[in-house]
Amino acid sequence: MRRMRARDVGSRRHLFLLLCAGMAVLLSAGPAISTTAAAGPAAHGTAAGPAAHRTAAAGSARASSADLAVRLQALLGRHSVLAADLMRSRIRGDDSFAQAANAALGGNTDAMTTLVGQLFGAATAEKFRPMWSEHIVALVAYAGAVADKDDGAKVHAREELVEYEEDLARFFAGASHGRLSPKAARAAVVMHVGHLTEQADAYAAGDYATADRLYREGYRHTYDLGLTLADALLPAADRATLRKPVWRLRSRLGEILAEHAVLLEDVNRAAVTNTADFDASADMINDNTRDLAAAVDTLFGAATARRFQSLWGSHVELLVAYAGATAAGKPDRRHETRAELGTFEKDMAAVLAPATGGRMSAADLSSALQDHDRMLLEHADAYAARDYRGAQDIAGRTYEHMFALARRLADGFGATVAARLPQGGAQTGYGGLAGVAGTR
Amino acid sequence: MPAYARTATLAGLTSAVLAVLGGAQPYAHRPGGTAPGATGGPAPVAADGFRSVRTYPVVAPPVRLRIRALRVDSPLQRLGLRPDGTVEVPARPDVAGWYERGPRPGQPGPAVVLGHVDSRTGPGVFARLRTVRPGTLIGVDRADGSKVTFRVTRVAQTSKTAFPTDLVYAPTLDATLRLVTCGGSFDRDRGSYRDNVIVFADEA
Repeated sequence: MRRMRARDVGSRRHLFLLLCAGMAVLLSAGPAISTTAAAGPAAHGTAAGPAAHRTAAAGSARASSADLAVRLQALLGRHSVLAADLMRSRIRGDDSFAQAANAALGGNTDAMTTLVGQLFGAATAEKFRPMWSEHIVALVAYAGAVADKDDGAKVHAREELVEYEEDLARFFAGASHGRLSPKAARAAVVMHVGHLTEQADAYAAGDYATADRLYREGYRHTYDLGLTLADALLPAADRATLRKPVWRLRSRLGEILAEHAVLLEDVNRAAVTNTADFDASADMINDNTRDLAAAVDTLFGAATARRFQSLWGSHVELLVAYAGATAAGKPDRRHETRAELGTFEKDMAAVLAPATGGRMSAADLSSALQDHDRMLLEHADAYAARDYRGAQDIAGRTYEHMFALARRLADGFGATVAARLPQGGAQTGYGGLAGVAGTR
Repeated sequence: MPAYARTATLAGLTSAVLAVLGGAQPYAHRPGGTAPGATGGPAPVAADGFRSVRTYPVVAPPVRLRIRALRVDSPLQRLGLRPDGTVEVPARPDVAGWYERGPRPGQPGPAVVLGHVDSRTGPGVFARLRTVRPGTLIGVDRADGSKVTFRVTRVAQTSKTAFPTDLVYAPTLDATLRLVTCGGSFDRDRGSYRDNVIVFADEA
């Protein structure tokens, strides 16, 4: 019934094209997607660079519930950015991009369904998939209504979304066996939908600063939602593991580094197309760079953070300059930026390797940064060539690569910091309340 | 207006003209879209003016702790490590202390504040800390006049011999606060309590 209504709203032509594209991807990719989904956070891998091989190797090891919980966070965060990208392309009337984003979103839903099955059981996964897919259809219908300036269709799409919000909230609350209240579950889902619909409204109105603020908030919210769900649905022992500092550091560093890749790709898209949303995109990547520097400050102090940010900022500038040179048709400048990135990779590796206490060598780090930069340059090239499908594939691998790197860095950073922590308990009493202080 | 904003605006105007005069340019129909290339020279490229930030918000050190529910309102002494690797404790029983080798409250990580449960003759600043309930608000004033508030999530009591250093001090990038004092029975031979009481709080 609701699906029938969804088909009536917005532009039928665009929705039909998107759904066809999604079906085509599912049918053609089939088993490959399932295999990839089982192996790592992203389900879009195609080309097999060194980074992809390492990630696949890491993913083939037996994953703990905590590993899977971080993957759930990663997939939910990527769902948010892919859904926003899809809605924006629908508003722009950019069908080619929309089809590529929709295909990537389909792969993300597949991977998430597989993961939900691994974490919470096949029955839960079976219920999850249709509800999740239908909320995406409703979001696209909303974007279509915004694009078409059809207020009636917009109201209709909102009604659809409210119903899916209630269904999803009931589903999550029910699966948690009371640990997640229906009210809390609904608030989380409503906020997710709100981020996406409001960013679409702002984007259509040309208010890119607001649209991009909501884009970031949406990513962080869905990323955190993954932890909330895992915390509510997993057994007690697994929930305790999720709260351990090592897992929190892996999760949080992965969140910031993966967001760096997402936002770098977004600003490069704006650079390559030379569109008026470039400033807002530039502000987003700068905010992420501030967050990364603040993280380094809290781990290693202000001096290291300043050194890190100086190098990291150069890295961001070079990648954006490459995209700009691509837009301007300046092959010499493209070549220069590639060469300068090589210097950055070595310099940054020299800063980070000691921070891991030698757990990652400078050569290893430099290689990982090379992989990262190479993928981002390839993404800019694919985007400039309007190979949006290829760009989405690279974006998925870049995102996944960031989590693999974040995990290694988090473990190295965590061990380095742990070596200098205070030993034992605190002597914070002299006995004046003895007999009273102990009656807990 | 930054340079890249000016060039983007100019590029936008160029695009609008092209859209009207030339029809279907690749990106001209998009919200705020521009068309690369223009007659009379290459179009300005928005990315040319991009500069990455080289600063980040610095969180000021804490100077005061307030827990209204416990009637705690204390300046904060800075604490480091003793030569034996244990944490320093506040010099006065009525004053709390912040472990300055860890995060500042509000930074992404666990900030740790320690206070005495008692002196040899009477209550210390954290005498009632073990009674605090989840949900209680804790305020921290910082040196630059800013404030940050935390909400208690749980209270734990643990033997000092099994002190959970990891859960209290280890880096997480979550902006949290831990309050630590003594509890449990008093070992008169050693002149110290056997346990520590630890309050865990998240940024509110």
